[in-house]
Amino acid sequence: MPEFPAAERSLRLGVAGPVGTGKSSLIALVCRALADEIRIGVITNDIYTDEDARLLRSAGVLDPDRIRAIETGACPHTAIRDDVTANLQAVERLEGDYFPLDLVLVESGGDNLTATFSPALVDAQIFVLDVAGGGDVARKGGPGIARADLLVVNKTDLAEYVGVDVEQMVGDATEAREGGPVLALSRTDDASIAQLREWLLTLLATHRAGAHSPQDPGPMAPHFHADEDGGHVHSHDDVGAPHDHEHERV
Amino acid sequence: MIVSSSVAPARRNASATLAMLLADSRLPAGAHVSSNGLEAGLRRGLAASEVADYMRARMTTVVRVEAGAAVIARHLAAAHPDAVMDHLDVLEAEWAARTPSPALREIALALGAGLARIGQVIWPQTAEVLRPRPMPRPIVLGIIAACAGIGPDDLVRLVAYDDAQTVAAAVLKLEPTDPIHVTSWVLDACATLEGSVSELSKLTSPEALPASGAPLIEDWAEVQSVLPRRLFRA
Repeated sequence: MPEFPAAERSLRLGVAGPVGTGKSSLIALVCRALADEIRIGVITNDIYTDEDARLLRSAGVLDPDRIRAIETGACPHTAIRDDVTANLQAVERLEGDYFPLDLVLVESGGDNLTATFSPALVDAQIFVLDVAGGGDVARKGGPGIARADLLVVNKTDLAEYVGVDVEQMVGDATEAREGGPVLALSRTDDASIAQLREWLLTLLATHRAGAHSPQDPGPMAPHFHADEDGGHVHSHDDVGAPHDHEHERV
Repeated sequence: MIVSSSVAPARRNASATLAMLLADSRLPAGAHVSSNGLEAGLRRGLAASEVADYMRARMTTVVRVEAGAAVIARHLAAAHPDAVMDHLDVLEAEWAARTPSPALREIALALGAGLARIGQVIWPQTAEVLRPRPMPRPIVLGIIAACAGIGPDDLVRLVAYDDAQTVAAAVLKLEPTDPIHVTSWVLDACATLEGSVSELSKLTSPEALPASGAPLIEDWAEVQSVLPRRLFRA
C-alpha cells in the first residue's frame, strides 16, 4: 500500500501471548503510564467477542474511540500473520482518524505459544507469559518466547501463591532468548512499570530515527534434530545468515 | 482512464490465471471472516445435510446479483473511462436496492476494501477508481477485471466459485464432515449457475442487474451480524 515511510507514521507494536497472561492489562498499563505524553491507539483481536476492547474502554485509560476491535474468529493466527488485511485496515483507519498517533498497540487474539505477528503488520512485538501459567513455560521456548522484541513475565506478584521462582523463570527465559530482553512485570510493582515505559520510549525513539527494522520471530519453534551425536537444536530464523554461535549440543 | 493507463507497465496474464488468483482463499484479502451467512443459518435450523442445497440456492439468488454487478462494473470501467465514477455510483445504487440487508451491504464493503488494497498495488491503474471510497466487493472485482483482463464469463464463474467455496470452508469449521464431499458440493453449485453464465456475462446496464435476492439469506445475514459468540463476522 502507498503509505508514509515507517518512521513518519506511528510505531505499531504487537502484544501476543497465551490466553489469560495479561495482554489487555499490559496495554492498560502502557496507556496509564504514557497516555499523557504520547498519542496512543489500540486495536484488539478477539476470537468470539469484543471483550478485550470493552475491558480496555471501561478501564478509562484512553478515549473509547481510540480502542477498536476487529473480528478474526475463524483464524486468529492468520489475521496477525499470513493475511493481515483486516488488522492493517483497522490500524490505518485509526491512524487516519487520529493523525498523528505515536503508538498503535495491536493485541492478538489470545491463543497459544506459536502465534506471532508478521512484520508487515507491526514494527515490534511483545510476547507475554505469566508466572501462574507455570514456571517451566519460558523454558519450553517457541518463536514468541525466543525472538519477540521483548518477553514479559507477568503477574510476578502472584509467584508466591503459585510456587514459582521468578528469578529462575526469568533466567530460563533469558537463556531461551540468548540474552534478549526479559521483563518481570507486575501491575503492583512500580519499578517494573517504569522499566516497561523506558523500553517502550527507547523503541519509539529508535523507530522515529528510522533506525528500527522489524524482525520476524519466525513461524515455528526451534526443534530437535536427532543425529548420531545425540542431536542438536535448530532454529529457522537465521537461514542463510552466518552463525555467531555454535548449535547447542544436547 | 483506467483501462489504457500508460503509467503502469502492462503485465499480461491470462483471464483464467487471474480468475484463479482472485478465487484462491490464500489471496490476502481478509475474506476468511465470512461464512456467507452459513453460521447464522445453522443456528436457525439449517441442517448440516442441507448445506449443498444452501450453496445451490445462493446460485439462483444472491450470486446472480453479485455476478451481475461484477460484470456490469467491468463493462462500465472499460466503456466509460472518463466518467467511470458516475457510472459506478449508479450501479452501486442498483446493487444496494437489490441487497436490502444492511449487514450484507456492510460485509460486501469490508471485503471490497480488502480486495481494493490488493488491486491498487498489483494493478496501479485501478488506484484512481479504487482509492477514493470503499466499494462493494463485486464492483471492486469488476474494476479489477476490466484493468487486469478477466473476461466476463470467467468473472461470473469466479464470483460463483468464490461464493460456494466460502460456504464450504465455513462448513468445515462449523459442522466438520468429509471435506471431499464438501468439495463436490462446490462443483455441483457451480454447475447450477453454468447455464446462466452466458446471460449474466452479457449484462451492461446497471438497470438490468438481476433482482433475485433471497429474503431468508438477507435475514440470516442480519441474524449473523448480531450473533453472540460467533466464529464468523458474516
